[in-house]
Amino acid sequence: MTRPLWVALAWAALLAVVAAVAPAFFDPVNLRDLVVRASPLLIVACGMTIVILARQIDISVGSQFAICGVVAGLLARTGLPMPLVALGTMAAGAGLGLINGLLVARLGLPAIVVTLATLVAWREGLRFATEGVWVQDLPAGFQWFGLGQDVGRWLVGCAAAAVWAGVAVVLGWTPAGRAVYATGSDAEVARLLGVRPPVVIAGAFVVMGALTGLAALLSAVQFIDVQANAGIGLELSVIAAVVVGGTAVSGGRGSLTGTLAGVALLATVGPALTFLGAPAAWERALQGAIILIAVSAEGFSRVRGLEGRHA
Amino acid sequence: MPDPAPVTASPAAPRPSAAGRAARLATPEMVLVALLIGELVWFSAAGTNFLTLDNGLEMLRASTEVGLLALALTPVILTGGIDLSCGALLGLSAVVFGAIWRDAGHSLPVAIAAALGVGLLGGAINAWMVAGFGRPALIVTLGTASLFRGLAEGLTGGAVNYSGFPSAFLHLGQGRILGLPTQAWVLIASVAVMAVLVHAATIGRGLRAIGYAPEGARFAGIPVGRRLALVYLLSGAAAGIAGLVYAARLGQARADAGTGFELSAITAVVLGGTSIFGGRGSVWGTMLGLVALGVLTNGLRLADQPAELAGVLTGILLIVAIGVGARRGRA
Repeated sequence: MTRPLWVALAWAALLAVVAAVAPAFFDPVNLRDLVVRASPLLIVACGMTIVILARQIDISVGSQFAICGVVAGLLARTGLPMPLVALGTMAAGAGLGLINGLLVARLGLPAIVVTLATLVAWREGLRFATEGVWVQDLPAGFQWFGLGQDVGRWLVGCAAAAVWAGVAVVLGWTPAGRAVYATGSDAEVARLLGVRPPVVIAGAFVVMGALTGLAALLSAVQFIDVQANAGIGLELSVIAAVVVGGTAVSGGRGSLTGTLAGVALLATVGPALTFLGAPAAWERALQGAIILIAVSAEGFSRVRGLEGRHA
Repeated sequence: MPDPAPVTASPAAPRPSAAGRAARLATPEMVLVALLIGELVWFSAAGTNFLTLDNGLEMLRASTEVGLLALALTPVILTGGIDLSCGALLGLSAVVFGAIWRDAGHSLPVAIAAALGVGLLGGAINAWMVAGFGRPALIVTLGTASLFRGLAEGLTGGAVNYSGFPSAFLHLGQGRILGLPTQAWVLIASVAVMAVLVHAATIGRGLRAIGYAPEGARFAGIPVGRRLALVYLLSGAAAGIAGLVYAARLGQARADAGTGFELSAITAVVLGGTSIFGGRGSVWGTMLGLVALGVLTNGLRLADQPAELAGVLTGILLIVAIGVGARRGRA
């Protein structure tokens, strides 16, 4: 069985337990809130899947998320119409991603160190610029895009679904998607096949940044003010979701179906725990355990595969 | 991660130009020493009470926990691995110490042993997954980071703050022995152990060989699995000790203790010239990196600059340092 299927089964089992013990979990309002809360996570995870498929990693997404949220708030305060605010926020994210991409693809520096540096520099730079003050006095058209809670929630959920479907189509059925897989599998072979790995890698970081910008906007519009310290630790939840979904950190292997399953499982665990009566403080421990199980499960299947070949 | 560049020396290498010689002189360690001198000159001019013995000792006190983590991370990164869980393990060890001492009412030695045991156990989980199962260290330690921090949060309910430790214990973090902060002696002892392990013992050469080419190291007869297990165990032990030092220095233990310390520790190691791909690096470099970071944070504060500036500069420094290292690796 494939990894996404296993994760989906685990998710279904979790839901079954919750259904038996605490059916109140399936209240439509609760499910709706769950989807809305998980939407930004899914969007960032789509970008992270591309980056990891290209054999890179981006641990600066939490800082990008915070900067983009503040940018969205500031743009909205200048009176720009919301579509332009969205474009500007995504452009800001793409710009931040481009810096990572150029440092990694042009200078050949390791992605984990580059994005570690930008994680720290951007987080502290934002704190320096805003002094921790939240962006307040936002125009009426900012919260839920001025459409009211109900339509706004639908918009957030649909945007996440559209991003997921779009990235899935690009990765699975277009030459650009093939180029990402090829670069992550073997950059040298990809080059000989006519793919330009530096362009693919830089592009992956730019898309990652733009999607992070979109996620930051969709998260910011849910509140009256924009926090200046959003997204701390976001990189961990996102990478966890992608890896649980079966995408290999060694690049070239994985799918967006898996990422969807991973996000669903990890986003459900916390709220489900609360409904089962366990203290919410254990949520992170459980998430860590899920990551470790997913990682070691891959190890088992690989070992079994080797035995099969030698038998 | 990509394989490290093969080390080849062509027999008829052209004579190095002046620029080439300058580039070869610009080892990460030399760049760091130059940077440190620059920092010292600038901060002595800009800040008050910067170039005093007391300030130097306080700097040492504040840097010890990150220093312990960075020291233990050096051999991990030398093998081409990484340990993102050491900051979280520090927090768990501090919380377990507090819980055993206050909630369970055990004596100080028992609580200290429990905290160290937690560090070793955490390191053993990483070692088991990385060395035993051969899973990628980045993801394993990402998962254990989440697990350890989550356990600390669960144990404290996310709210309990252990404090009121006896003065005999606080001495470890706030007192002085022979003029030096108590924890500085712990750091010095760890430097000695790590320096011998990495630079004087055959084990150190084995670690570098694993970092360059794990497969080649295995064929050369190096017990790769046992060596990898050793470095992750050491990293866990260091996190356990650092957790105690942290609790003693601040006089409290909370679930968020040591948040982000793993990033500072990795920065110190990489700044010190250890290649993130493994195979190349030194304990001295890590110590220089630690001092450069500590002086930067402390000096900026005494010069009345905002603390955030230190973070921004650290990020820029890190990129410049690996940029220099990468150019040198390719040259």
